[in-house]
Amino acid sequence: MKQFIAVFVDALRLLRARALFWITLGISAVAAILYLSIGFDEEGVTLLFGVSRFDSDYLRLGSPLAEMFYLGIFSMVIVNLWLSWVAVILALITCAPVFPEFMAEGSAGVVLSKPISRLRLFFYKYLAGLLFAFLQTAVFCLIVFLAIRLRVGTWNPSVFWAVPLIVLMFSYLWAVMVAVGVRTRSVMASVLASLLVWFGAWIAKTVEEYAWTAGELGEVPAAAGSMRLSESEQESWRDRYGMLSMAYTILPKTSDTVNLLQRLITVEGEQEFALSELLNLMATGEPERDDEVEAALERHSMGFIIGSSLAFEAVILAFAAWSFCRRDY
Amino acid sequence: METAAVEIEYLRKRYGRFEALKGVELSVPQGAVFGLLGPNGAGKSTLVKSLLTIVRPTQCRGRMLGERIGHRRTLGRVGYLPEHARFPEYLTGRQIVAYTAGLARVPGREARQRTDELLEIVGMREWADRKNGTYSKGMRQRVGLAQALVNDPAIVFLDEPTDGVDPGGRVEIRRIIENMREQGRTVFVNSHLLGEVEQVVDEVAIMARGEIVERGTLEALTRQDNRYEIRTLGPVPSAVRAELEQEGIEVAGDRIAVTAEDAKGVQALIDRLREGGVVIREMKELRFSLEEVFLKAVEAQGEERAR
Ligand SMILES: Nc1ncnc2c1ncn2[C@@H]1O[C@H](COP(=O)(O)OP(=O)(O)OP(=O)(O)O)[C@@H](O)[C@H]1O
Ligand SMILES: [Mg+2]
Repeated sequence: MKQFIAVFVDALRLLRARALFWITLGISAVAAILYLSIGFDEEGVTLLFGVSRFDSDYLRLGSPLAEMFYLGIFSMVIVNLWLSWVAVILALITCAPVFPEFMAEGSAGVVLSKPISRLRLFFYKYLAGLLFAFLQTAVFCLIVFLAIRLRVGTWNPSVFWAVPLIVLMFSYLWAVMVAVGVRTRSVMASVLASLLVWFGAWIAKTVEEYAWTAGELGEVPAAAGSMRLSESEQESWRDRYGMLSMAYTILPKTSDTVNLLQRLITVEGEQEFALSELLNLMATGEPERDDEVEAALERHSMGFIIGSSLAFEAVILAFAAWSFCRRDY
Repeated sequence: METAAVEIEYLRKRYGRFEALKGVELSVPQGAVFGLLGPNGAGKSTLVKSLLTIVRPTQCRGRMLGERIGHRRTLGRVGYLPEHARFPEYLTGRQIVAYTAGLARVPGREARQRTDELLEIVGMREWADRKNGTYSKGMRQRVGLAQALVNDPAIVFLDEPTDGVDPGGRVEIRRIIENMREQGRTVFVNSHLLGEVEQVVDEVAIMARGEIVERGTLEALTRQDNRYEIRTLGPVPSAVRAELEQEGIEVAGDRIAVTAEDAKGVQALIDRLREGGVVIREMKELRFSLEEVFLKAVEAQGEERAR
């Protein structure tokens, strides 16, 4: 425990000494406050603490959709854009030097010559990175939690699901970063590698989604809405689905992991949060649940999404830990 | 009771195809200051790192502080100052020492107390709460020494401790090393600064190209075979000089070099000189400098390998 604290405190000091750490926190706070600035009154929605406003019958103080709308902003804009993109990138860059710096000549020796096993040291350092992501999102979600109470009047603890999900997603990329950092001792290489895997995961998901829509629904996105496919075309897409989804199956599911939040967030304690309802509301002005879209969004089970991603992470981490324990310093 | 702090029976280390240590055998007595000397690239740092599990030896048999080399828990009783020690820039001197204490599992209160003491000893008390990034090289080295001692180690490894330290600082580091010996610690110093080492070590081993080429106490290594030197006040008077030279005794200016069994054998000559009215300034046993011993040993090994 004493050793873990020593390693962790050191990691925190490393982060604290970086300008980026403070910039990240600052931007986080700004984002949270922007969210807080959205409110409702009798006629509709107010933005920026009432500076700007628009009227709506569905979205006003006390309307059932108001909470969903407010949560929707959280789960789509805040989580999808802010937490799972900007905050994760910043966290990755902030944590990137943890391993390369440790492994630089003259600095690893002191630590490795102490009665702490290399494997343990490796995991302590790894956990320190996760803890940073955890702290960042936890603070953020706390503000959101309070904002919801203030704006729609309910306590909604389900927003805290964002914390483990974001940390989980961060951990996939962090594992890649650690592995490359351990192998190359280069901050730059490890940042690039993790961004590459992230990008690869995104491509793989897009391909899988396209193949699935074409094969199962017989539709492909086209310039105007979508285009129907013939039976045989659809059939051939279905045949190729296995191959086309392979990369998706292997790579970590970054965006899907974060999107699980939409399944976990609840409104008023029991009602499930329905993304299609909200999307229709925004598109047509009428809240209408689209079961087909909902089904498409949930075609992969939570177990598959998290399980296969963790399998990827475990392999990468095992490789990193093995390299870390075996190399000479 | 074990007499050797470190007893290496056999140690071999290969980096890829390069053999950095070729089956070293070495014994470090307890409570002594031990110097490991050798030219650049001899494998000194590799040897120390192997003992401390920082590199993984290819083959290793031996014991350190009564346990097998590489035993984790024993490392809690070991202090280490690496070569080119680089501690995080963002830590203060105090935090660096505390960090090592935490890793070595030193209980909190004891750690704080020792940290204060040690920073005082190495002369860094005033600077203890400044960031490492603002320290000069010598100051960093001092903090490095302090952290090497925070777990009250039985043996301390110092890899080039005086690297980059000014003459004043070197004298102080030497004092600190002597202080460690007084406290009963074994000190293992790696260096190629021979003059420096000469002044503190009890025993040395000389290493070249991954092999130990010479070892022994400083006393034994530097002894010349029964040579003594007498120095007089002013040049030796020519009458006396001629007389001595006839007997085959070398005289040069105010110096008389003589071969004798031991110091007793020289006394007769001294008496004769004094009878002749020569004033004697100094009489001493002639010794090789460590540098001479070192160069000879390294050269001899080079020749042997060339053959
Ligand atoms: N990590 C490594 N990988 C490959 N070769 C290495 C590594 N570390 C050291 N060596 C080689 O091993 C040999 C011994 O190096 P070592 O650092 O032990 O020498 P040294 O005696 O400490 O020299 P110096 O006086 O310059 O510090 C050198 O030839 C060096 O090139
Ligand atoms: Mg060295």
